[in-house]
Amino acid sequence: MDFRFLMTLQIAVGAVQKIGAVPHGTRVTAPIASGHFEGPRLRGKVLPGAGDWTLLRGDGVLELDLRMTLETDDDALIHMTSFGLRHGPPEVIAALARGEQVDPSTYYFRTTPRFETAHPKYAFLNRLVAAASGDRRPEGPIYTIEEIL
Amino acid sequence: MRSRPLLTLRLNTAPVQDIGATPHGVRVTFPIVGGLFEGERLRGKVLPGGDDWTIKRADGVIELDLRITLQTDDGALIHMTFQGIRDDAAAGAPYFRTVPRFETAEPKYAFLNSLLAIGIGEIRADGPVHLIEELL
Repeated sequence: MDFRFLMTLQIAVGAVQKIGAVPHGTRVTAPIASGHFEGPRLRGKVLPGAGDWTLLRGDGVLELDLRMTLETDDDALIHMTSFGLRHGPPEVIAALARGEQVDPSTYYFRTTPRFETAHPKYAFLNRLVAAASGDRRPEGPIYTIEEIL
Repeated sequence: MRSRPLLTLRLNTAPVQDIGATPHGVRVTFPIVGGLFEGERLRGKVLPGGDDWTIKRADGVIELDLRITLQTDDGALIHMTFQGIRDDAAAGAPYFRTVPRFETAEPKYAFLNSLLAIGIGEIRADGPVHLIEELL
């Protein structure tokens, strides 16, 4: 499979909302306070109001369900969603939970972003499938997003 | 990003159900009556009863929404879904890419529950074929 770099997305997470034990697992919603993205074909910031609805499953895998609006530096709005999975050795996941910086190669953190926009300049985003690798930093995740060619 | 082959999936479809123009686009459902899948770590057949619910958007891109059950050659059942897009107007060649997901209760195949995958689809004379790789 061939990939092409699309952008780096860095987001800052606000105070999490611990919904708790629900029928599918343990649900925690992470409001996204701010963020920015940058790539050769688009750059800009994340608008307030975004969030990541996470669910820790019984098998220890964290499911991520991110929804946000991106605003490019030339004022186009892009609706972005991404489903992802995060899991790893218990000691690595515990270090992440303590807010430590962890080498992202020691755990699995992958997502599949999708985009929708009405802006003709960015319409190519409507017609691609992407994959991302994540790096969970103490202040929030950094995603490297690539287009699947 | 790196990936490695997971399986090749061949689907047999019945005559399509042309639902027609709906608010989101032109909806066509492809019943899946069978098929085969094969990879280094799993192989078997596709059980009848699945479908691919497709919708052609106003921009010409077809969105895919598939649900099927796989049965491995050692009797495990795997729930598989994918969403994807097929853009026959893409520059060069058709762009047909999917994001499959798997759910199984069988410990031998539990690795499928914790991976993300991507697929390249092709329409061949005898039906669609999907080359599915695990995101590493």
